[in-house]
Amino acid sequence: MDTVTRRKFLKLTTGAVAVGAAAPLLSIDQIAQAAIDRPLPAGTPILVVVTLYGGNDGLNTVVPYTDPIYYSSRPEISYKPDQVLPLDAELALNPAMKGMKALWDQKKVAIVRGVGYPNPDHSHFSSMAKWQTASPAKHINTGWLGRWIDSQSEDPMLAISLGSVLPPLLAGAKRSGSALPLGGLVIPKGSLATECLQLSKVSKKDSKLMAAAATSMRNLFSVSGNVQPVLKAPAPVAPDLPTTNGGNAGGDSNLAQQLDVVAKLIAAGSPTKVWSVSLGGFDTHANEANAQAALLGVVSDSLSRFMGQLKATTRSNDVTIMVYSEFGRRVVGNGSQGTDHGTSGPMFMIGNAVKGGFYGEQPSLKNLYKNDLAVTTDFRDVYATVIEKVLKSPIEPTLGKWSGRINFL
Amino acid sequence: MNSQRLETSRLFTRFGFGPRPGEYAQALIDGVSTTRSKVLTVPTVDAGAASVVKPEITDLGKRPEPNTKEIVPFAIAMRFQTQQMIMWWLDRMALSDNGLTEKMTWFWHGHWATSIQKLNYPLPMYKQNETLRTHCLGNFASMTKAMLNDGALQFWLDGQDSTVKAPNENLGRELMELFTLGVGRYTEDDVKSISRVLTGYQVNRNNGTVTINQNRRDKNPVNLLGTTAVFTGDSLADFLVARDDSAKFVSERLWYRFISSTEDMPATFSAKNAFATRDISAAVAAMANDSAMRDEKYAMVKSPVEWFIGACRALELTPSQLKTPNQLTNYLEKLGQVPFSPPNVGGWPAGEAWLSSATAQYRIAFATWLIKQSDLRGLKEIKPASRVLKSADWLGVAEWSPRTQSALRSSVNDPSQFALLALCSPEYIVSA
Repeated sequence: MDTVTRRKFLKLTTGAVAVGAAAPLLSIDQIAQAAIDRPLPAGTPILVVVTLYGGNDGLNTVVPYTDPIYYSSRPEISYKPDQVLPLDAELALNPAMKGMKALWDQKKVAIVRGVGYPNPDHSHFSSMAKWQTASPAKHINTGWLGRWIDSQSEDPMLAISLGSVLPPLLAGAKRSGSALPLGGLVIPKGSLATECLQLSKVSKKDSKLMAAAATSMRNLFSVSGNVQPVLKAPAPVAPDLPTTNGGNAGGDSNLAQQLDVVAKLIAAGSPTKVWSVSLGGFDTHANEANAQAALLGVVSDSLSRFMGQLKATTRSNDVTIMVYSEFGRRVVGNGSQGTDHGTSGPMFMIGNAVKGGFYGEQPSLKNLYKNDLAVTTDFRDVYATVIEKVLKSPIEPTLGKWSGRINFL
Repeated sequence: MNSQRLETSRLFTRFGFGPRPGEYAQALIDGVSTTRSKVLTVPTVDAGAASVVKPEITDLGKRPEPNTKEIVPFAIAMRFQTQQMIMWWLDRMALSDNGLTEKMTWFWHGHWATSIQKLNYPLPMYKQNETLRTHCLGNFASMTKAMLNDGALQFWLDGQDSTVKAPNENLGRELMELFTLGVGRYTEDDVKSISRVLTGYQVNRNNGTVTINQNRRDKNPVNLLGTTAVFTGDSLADFLVARDDSAKFVSERLWYRFISSTEDMPATFSAKNAFATRDISAAVAAMANDSAMRDEKYAMVKSPVEWFIGACRALELTPSQLKTPNQLTNYLEKLGQVPFSPPNVGGWPAGEAWLSSATAQYRIAFATWLIKQSDLRGLKEIKPASRVLKSADWLGVAEWSPRTQSALRSSVNDPSQFALLALCSPEYIVSA
């Protein structure tokens, strides 16, 4: 390998990209193996999508801490004004989100308020499908980023989801994103590798699903050949998350670990423009306060740590993070110290290039629509902005004609 | 594709967990109709299943406080019993002579998807599993009543927190959306009404016992789906299950898990009418006879557990005897599917979700590990000269593509590698 690349990797081992304090640093040889033949060109924007599964309670995330209706609606689970982290005279962050507050103070966080879609659906699965397919009116099988992948030239490294099961978000009609599990793996070698590659050819006789099975084998070799060595380092221990509350609506539980891998691979020059990570457990029908605060703490800590890791790379200005959940929760508490499924919620956009501040109208607590918050911003306004400004692509192949935009970039 | 081979292959892989060595070849001689009735006929005593010893799952009592000396034996017992329970079920799937009972129990586990991750006690999960097995081919109304009195399900969906003063919507919504009617077949007002009916349940979390506290119940009439009445849990179950939407929904779910997760259910799918009396076995039999079984369009990806159990049957392995059970659950976890731990209340995904580059990797590692522990009798009995084509019968594969034949041909003299390629081939991962 050439010396420039080697020096580049040498730098990685000493920088903040490396791993948590408890984990040993990558060896140079291991990282050298990860030399990527075609690094993402410098300055290429990168999108990191963070999906919060279960329906995050927006009102206890961005808290209307001076609104008396907030306190009267959910006396058991509201945060007192002296607990929260004020952002302005009306809204404050959950006390667990100190890292996010610091990023806000640096003007790196845009909070888009009241985000949702027309005719809100209170089902986790339908609502998440609407968000991930960006098709609230009609059930379709492709994700919005999957359709974007379809519009790009074929590259299994283009969009990568952490974890072994691919979210619908990245499923296209022709191609899909790749999934990358955490931790080490054994890749076939020698004659087995040759025969596995033979198996990965698409046969004329293949059904659509068999062809997809063959393609997944082919992607295995291309993705793993490039990124596998980088992943060989033991990952930091997953944060100890509560499993007793809100645990029944999906998502992974090791966000910090997923973001560590993303940071390593971004630093290593992986030619990946879209990353997808997730955290589950937000379905807080009962005993919400502790469970949600612990989860928001994980989101806030891991994202601020991730931003810190990026600082040591040349790509810190290129990354935009998008955080969303399938719905917010009901304004009024349900009496089990929790909240039931609701409608709109805040989205977070984070990055050095992001113009920090509030966007979209805060839904009123006084004028509820069927006991739920109004949707003041359509998520497609956000997606359209992301497609144009981050992915530098025309929106039509992905979202059709859509005129709304939000000026956070 | 030869239609007898296709239909026979589907009967084995979809209504069971795949053939043992020799079974598929015999079925081709017997003919489709004999094979179908064999697959659909649950024996009074299944010798294979009966050979699996029941695990000892006990009431572990109240969880000790953290950082006490009592917590250590408690945690060890919990982990041990959970593992015993998982191994017991996997063994039943792998060793049953007739696969239908376990396949249906597996289907219903994904339907009433409850996870031990929230329960944190094996006993309620074990009881739920026995309940699902009891009703797996019985009457759907009886099953629904039993499930409303199931401690694991109640706890999972916060039923024990739902009271007349403060009804919790979690169980009520999912009961309609995911268990009996399907999304969009009720209004938000119905969710509020049903949640009032489902108040007062109390769950003992460590043993799964459910009681009703009358003081916490809302005994007022509610308007639900156009009917105003005072409901109990039982009458609610009868009311929901009797609706036409319920027949539609259950047949849709059967279609999705047995016939196709990618193609829409045609209006002519015979399971719906066969479900008129809510007899599950009638719907399943209709499905096995449906013309869709012969239509090449309806391929299905095997879920990781289905793929693994199929491999165990072909390789004549007993899951609990694999070295080690921990390693086994580790592989299943990496593939994204461990029994008793569905990712959410909607159950596991289907179709292409199981076909990522990551699962391809893990499947190879997993299969390598399994093959090392098998004597590969079924494969070695086939002479190398005919191994490529005959191995399709060994695994119950309808047909190898020229692509896969070419890969297999280069390994005819290396049974381990041959088996690995066969188990990881698109034709084995996907049921044609």
